[in-house]
Order: sequence, then structure tokens, then C-alpha cells
Amino acid sequence: MPTDRVAVGAFAGAFGVKGDVRLKSFCADPASIAEYVPLYTEDGRRFDQIVLIGQGNNALIARVGGVTTKESADALKGQRLYAERANMPALPDDEYYYSDLIGLEVVDTGGNRLGRVKAVLNHGAGDILEVQGKPGGETILLPFTLAAVPTVDVGAGRIVADPPEGVLPGSGDEH
Amino acid sequence: MARSIWKGPFVDAYVLKKAEAAREANRNEVIKIWSRRSTILPQFVGLTFGVYNGQKHVPVNVTEDMIGQKFGEYSPTRTYYGHAADKKAKRK
Repeated sequence: MPTDRVAVGAFAGAFGVKGDVRLKSFCADPASIAEYVPLYTEDGRRFDQIVLIGQGNNALIARVGGVTTKESADALKGQRLYAERANMPALPDDEYYYSDLIGLEVVDTGGNRLGRVKAVLNHGAGDILEVQGKPGGETILLPFTLAAVPTVDVGAGRIVADPPEGVLPGSGDEH
Repeated sequence: MARSIWKGPFVDAYVLKKAEAAREANRNEVIKIWSRRSTILPQFVGLTFGVYNGQKHVPVNVTEDMIGQKFGEYSPTRTYYGHAADKKAKRK
């Protein structure tokens, strides 16, 4: 799968007998999956048209171009759908897609490597970058603020961080 | 009057002490706390706490709309990553 594609959903099976499909959307607004056409499956199949026609149990009901029978809809079950990153709208300054941040290299203000962004988390108290130093090693949680992350250069694949005291293992006071 | 109103919000004493010290020092720091049961008070707004979830300290940047909640609500003990898809992060 090309790296410039982002998983936005998955087929969850057929709906009814007329070739409609159940779609699981991974998007922040589930209905926005239809705006990112064309969508691709892992095996390279392309879907140029997706029309949402309703909502079912934990899934959207959609009519997908090229799928006209229940059997063909069932055959797609479990396949992931990928959108071209370029089809996603541009964002204002200081706003980034999670998919752009994941994988960026993180260095501190002195140029020392801290690791790579493993995930972006948000538990209701601001975005957090989970940075992994070594594969399988411990991760650090870095608040995604201007003070802690002064520079984000997606083009260069680099983030410059100024970790606050208490973020790095062994720093900050104890109980 | 409800019992919780006359008793006032519960906060572990050490959390208050650490928050006060951090505010006076005015440093860029994450205040490590283990007290998930403590209530978020108005004087904590603007500070960043590292709330322990059993494994690590999760940064919690306190804002006004969090007052009255408990710290533990912002530091889940189980992590579900989900899919990045078109989700956005804003640097504040």
C-alpha cells in the first residue's frame, strides 16, 4: 500500500439483497468518508462513487459504484478502504492530520534524537504525542503545545521538541 | 444541601502543594501526580499535570471547562489507538 494513502474505513458486509454495503468509517465525522473518493482497497480495487443512503448497526449503509449484488457486497467484507492523502482538505496553521504526524522523527532543541511519533492521543485534555525511542521500548508522552513542540516540519519529517520537566523518564519529582 | 456541597471538593493535600509550588516557580513543567481522585480546582487552570494511569504519567493540560471533574477522567487506564484517518491535532 502506498504511503500517501490513509485508511478511512472498511467494508462490514452486505446490507439487504440489492448490493448495498455496510461501511465502517474511521473518520472523525463518519459521513465524510464519501467525500474522499476515489477509495482503494489493499488489492488495488478502486471505487469512484460512494453514496451514503442510511445508517445501520455501528455502520453506514452505502451504495458503492461497481457493486450491484449481495454476493459481490459480501465478498468485500473485511476489506479496508484507503483514501489519497492529497484528497483531504488543507488545514490552517498549527493544525495537522494525525496521519501526517505519525512516523515523524522527534529531536530535542539540542538536536538529540528522542524517537519517532508512534501515535497521537487525545483523552479530552489536549493532544498528546506518543514518542517511541527504540522499537519495542518505552514511550514518552509529549503534550502537543507550542511550548513543548515549537517546530513541526512535516515536509522534512521532523519535529523539534522542548520536553517539559517531568516528561522524560527519570525527570521531575517523585511522589 | 447535598453532603458533597458542604464538605467541599476533595483534593489530596500534596497535589495542592505541588500546584502552588509550580505556579510560583512559573516553569515549563509537567506536575507528576498519582491522585486520580482529586478534583480539578480553579487554581489549577493553565497548569499541566502528569496523571498516573498505572503505567505512566499522562499529560493533562487543565482548562476552565475541566473544573469540578476528577484528574483520573483524563488519564485512561486502557489505551485504544483506533485509526488516524482524517483526525486532526491542534497545537495550542
